[in-house]
Amino acid sequence: MADSISVDVVCKAFAGGSLALDEVSLSVEPGTFVVLLGPSGSGKTTLLRCLAGIEHVTSGQIAIGGKTVAGGQVHVPPDRRNLSMVFQDYALWPHLRVRENVAFALRRSKLTRTEAQARTLAMLERVGLGALADRYPNELSGGEQQRVALARALVAGTGLILCDEPLSNLDADLRERMRVEISSLVREAGATAVYITHDQAEAFALADQIGVLQKGRLIQFGRPEEVYTRPASPFVARFTGLAGELPVRVTGQAPGPGASGPRASGPGASSPDAALPDSAIEVDVAGPALLRPFRARAGHHLAGADALLLIRPTGVRLSGTHNGDHHLAGVVADVAFRGRGYEHAIDIPGHGRLTGVFAATRAERGETVGLRLEPAGCHVFSATA
Amino acid sequence: MTITTEDTGAPGPAAAGPGRPAPWGRIAARASRPLGRRSVGGLIGRPIFWILLILFILVPCASSLLLTISPRLFDQGSQWFTLTYLRQALTGATAIAITNSLWVSASAAALGLVIGFPIAWLANRTTLPGRRFVAGSMWLVLLLPSWLPALGWERIVQADGVMYRLGLDWPWMTHLIMGPFGVVLLLGLRSVPFTYLAITAGLAGLGQEFEDAARVHGAGRAATLRLIWPMLAPAIWSALAIGFAESISDFGVAATLAYNSNFSLATYQLYQAINNFPPSFPAASAIGVLLVAAVAIPLALQARALRGRSYQMLSGRTRQAVRRELTGRGKAAALAGLGLFYVIALGVPGFGAVSASLLGDYGGSFSITLVNYQALFHQADQFGPLERSLAYGFVSASVTVVGGFIAAWLLAQRRQKSSRVLDFMLLAAVALPSVVFGAGYIFAFNLPVESSLGINLYQTATLLVIAYIASSLPTSARVLVGAVSQLQPSLRDAAKTHGAGELMAWARGVLPLVSRPLTMAWLLTFCGVFLELPLSQLLYAPSNPPASVAINDNLSTYHFGIGMAQSVLAVAIALAAVGIVLGGYRLLAPAGWRRIGAASRG
Repeated sequence: MADSISVDVVCKAFAGGSLALDEVSLSVEPGTFVVLLGPSGSGKTTLLRCLAGIEHVTSGQIAIGGKTVAGGQVHVPPDRRNLSMVFQDYALWPHLRVRENVAFALRRSKLTRTEAQARTLAMLERVGLGALADRYPNELSGGEQQRVALARALVAGTGLILCDEPLSNLDADLRERMRVEISSLVREAGATAVYITHDQAEAFALADQIGVLQKGRLIQFGRPEEVYTRPASPFVARFTGLAGELPVRVTGQAPGPGASGPRASGPGASSPDAALPDSAIEVDVAGPALLRPFRARAGHHLAGADALLLIRPTGVRLSGTHNGDHHLAGVVADVAFRGRGYEHAIDIPGHGRLTGVFAATRAERGETVGLRLEPAGCHVFSATA
Repeated sequence: MTITTEDTGAPGPAAAGPGRPAPWGRIAARASRPLGRRSVGGLIGRPIFWILLILFILVPCASSLLLTISPRLFDQGSQWFTLTYLRQALTGATAIAITNSLWVSASAAALGLVIGFPIAWLANRTTLPGRRFVAGSMWLVLLLPSWLPALGWERIVQADGVMYRLGLDWPWMTHLIMGPFGVVLLLGLRSVPFTYLAITAGLAGLGQEFEDAARVHGAGRAATLRLIWPMLAPAIWSALAIGFAESISDFGVAATLAYNSNFSLATYQLYQAINNFPPSFPAASAIGVLLVAAVAIPLALQARALRGRSYQMLSGRTRQAVRRELTGRGKAAALAGLGLFYVIALGVPGFGAVSASLLGDYGGSFSITLVNYQALFHQADQFGPLERSLAYGFVSASVTVVGGFIAAWLLAQRRQKSSRVLDFMLLAAVALPSVVFGAGYIFAFNLPVESSLGINLYQTATLLVIAYIASSLPTSARVLVGAVSQLQPSLRDAAKTHGAGELMAWARGVLPLVSRPLTMAWLLTFCGVFLELPLSQLLYAPSNPPASVAINDNLSTYHFGIGMAQSVLAVAIALAAVGIVLGGYRLLAPAGWRRIGAASRG
């Protein structure tokens, strides 16, 4: 039975006064896979440890499955919260065999020894480690240890599973395979999951809901598509992947897509964008780097303001310089083969560099190229945001 | 192909992995290195180093053990092979001494654990006030030779001691300390720093995540403790093994408190076998063999207890454990317990030594006098031993640090077979009790064949200093190997690539990184040699006794006051040396050197 989570204006201050969590609030439906994303020191681990009961909250309230576990005078200890956790370095007890490590999590289940043994072995089989049940943790590879930790978290069938950057110690190939395993096993178990990472690709691949934290504050909480297409702040946009950014000035306010009239006009304007949310505001921007005005989306009204144009890798593509439909011109600084095509780094003279500019064909280093911007991947924020 | 590899420095086509040259590549690179670039050290230094190691470590160690089964090999009897001396060692007074040593050492190790474990836990896992000073004070306990606290206690409780002269007529205390209990107590206190260091290392690796994982998966506080406790098993076993080995090989307490209490221990029995007239070298060697075998007992038990289990728990991301907040009452109890330890380990013997040095040798009153110190400074034969030991300590520490660094450098090259041989040799030398090592020097350098060759090292200051160096080298190498192992060859290569000569590359690229461990190794050796007793007692040049021998001679001839004044002054000199060297390092070493040392320490 999956648990809901309610975090209500939670603050956590450590000795010395540093504020690790600053009025964090979120609500998670049962069975949701939540990923908390943020850089080091953003408070994501602290929030996870508060959910686990390892840390006490300073103020605010946490409820799991409708029951208050932290807040006011209440602090339910970790062993009585009926949850499980996958730790960053797995925290497998080195003196216990694999099956003993996994079976430990069944101590709350009041199963007979035989039942516990059967369930442990079944879970180990499920994660592909049935043959290694009698080994000690140090006799396993990193990926196998990771799966033992996962089996320990899943075996008791708790309603909430917490994952503390469980893939950060693995190499790239294993990381991808384990990500898929975690996703499928956790969803198969039907539990609510809270997973923390600083890797945006991992977050988008796993999450039903993403929460982005910065300096202890939850900046944005929503579906991955929302976070990507409508970042709440330049920080969220930067942290979830940018090709680059340019200084611009907002020259006009366009009616939203819900309003009547053409959505884009003029030479080179983007084609109507079905992915643009109804509530988005479009603004016309111009700037020293832009060869012609461009219409992009903004979070709020910015008419007449100095602004930043934040460009996603999906918001820019290579185009020729001859037909005049490009917004920027630049020189290829670097090119990298990526299997399905090429990623380019393009220097915009006097305005820095755009990276991750994808094209099916290769542009050579030193070549002058045109760049066409796509409104769906470009976000305008106030320069002071 | 050889030229290509040498010229480009790039891995050859058969490279085993990225950036890893193929074995043939390395061999070829070595072979093609211009002869002129090979240092003198590479050509001559290494063989000389090995010859010295064999001559002054391997030969004495082997001699000390071989003599008992082959006395004729050393011109000490007619048998080429016999077990007679070993059998004799297992009977009579020697058997009693060995039995005493065994149970006293086991008890001392257990006592060391009982006291050292809570201290380590309090210092590392609680908010105990003043916990930062615990580590430093443990080093102080460790640096003091065991005979000093023993003599301090002795002068307090023995007949006509400070206790009686203060009007405290407590014969029960005399009987308690001047007997097996006192011996176990002092050896147990001596084991505390070892336990502290072993348990501290164990606790450092026991990250918070192991406890958190237990709590999150349903374990309460008690169940978590039961789960976590066995993870400290290696540290506990290690503490017990070191405590036992240190106690059974101790000579300081055996030659002072135990001897004066008529409580016979094996190390002193060995010394007597050599010192009696006529000396029985084979009998001494037999005791040495049994002592070495005894040292192996806890190691074997430790290996058996931990066999098949894994306790590997350090990872790069181990979360530092949370310190427990002690309540007011808890703090008071912890500080009282810690205070009691320091009073017994340092305070009482310190008071005993200082007060005895300020009293006349006999008499019922407690009148303070400086006559002993005046005698010390006016009689050359009383101050001379301190000067001599100071010189011995300085020379031995300086040579040992150089040798220890070379040994550590060789040990760090773990792939070579020779470094594994060196590792084993140094480990064996560390495990050998000093008194057995010293006996080995007598056996090896008192042979008629050497006299006939004109080599007369026995009973010279030269041999004593060589023995000091050889006995300190293994420990010094161990202290340095950690720092040296972390030195990347690329550091020296980088300095050379960017224009530094061989010497400058070492001075600028390597030395700064190991300056602090070198300084600490120098201090450890200096303090160890300055007040060393067993080797000094066995090997000193007649009429030129070092400080420890002179102090014990004074005490055995009832010159308690001047003997204790010598002790107090010796400790003051040792502490002053530590202060001067550490202060000098702090003031004179470039800021970058100190920063590296501090970072690696932290």
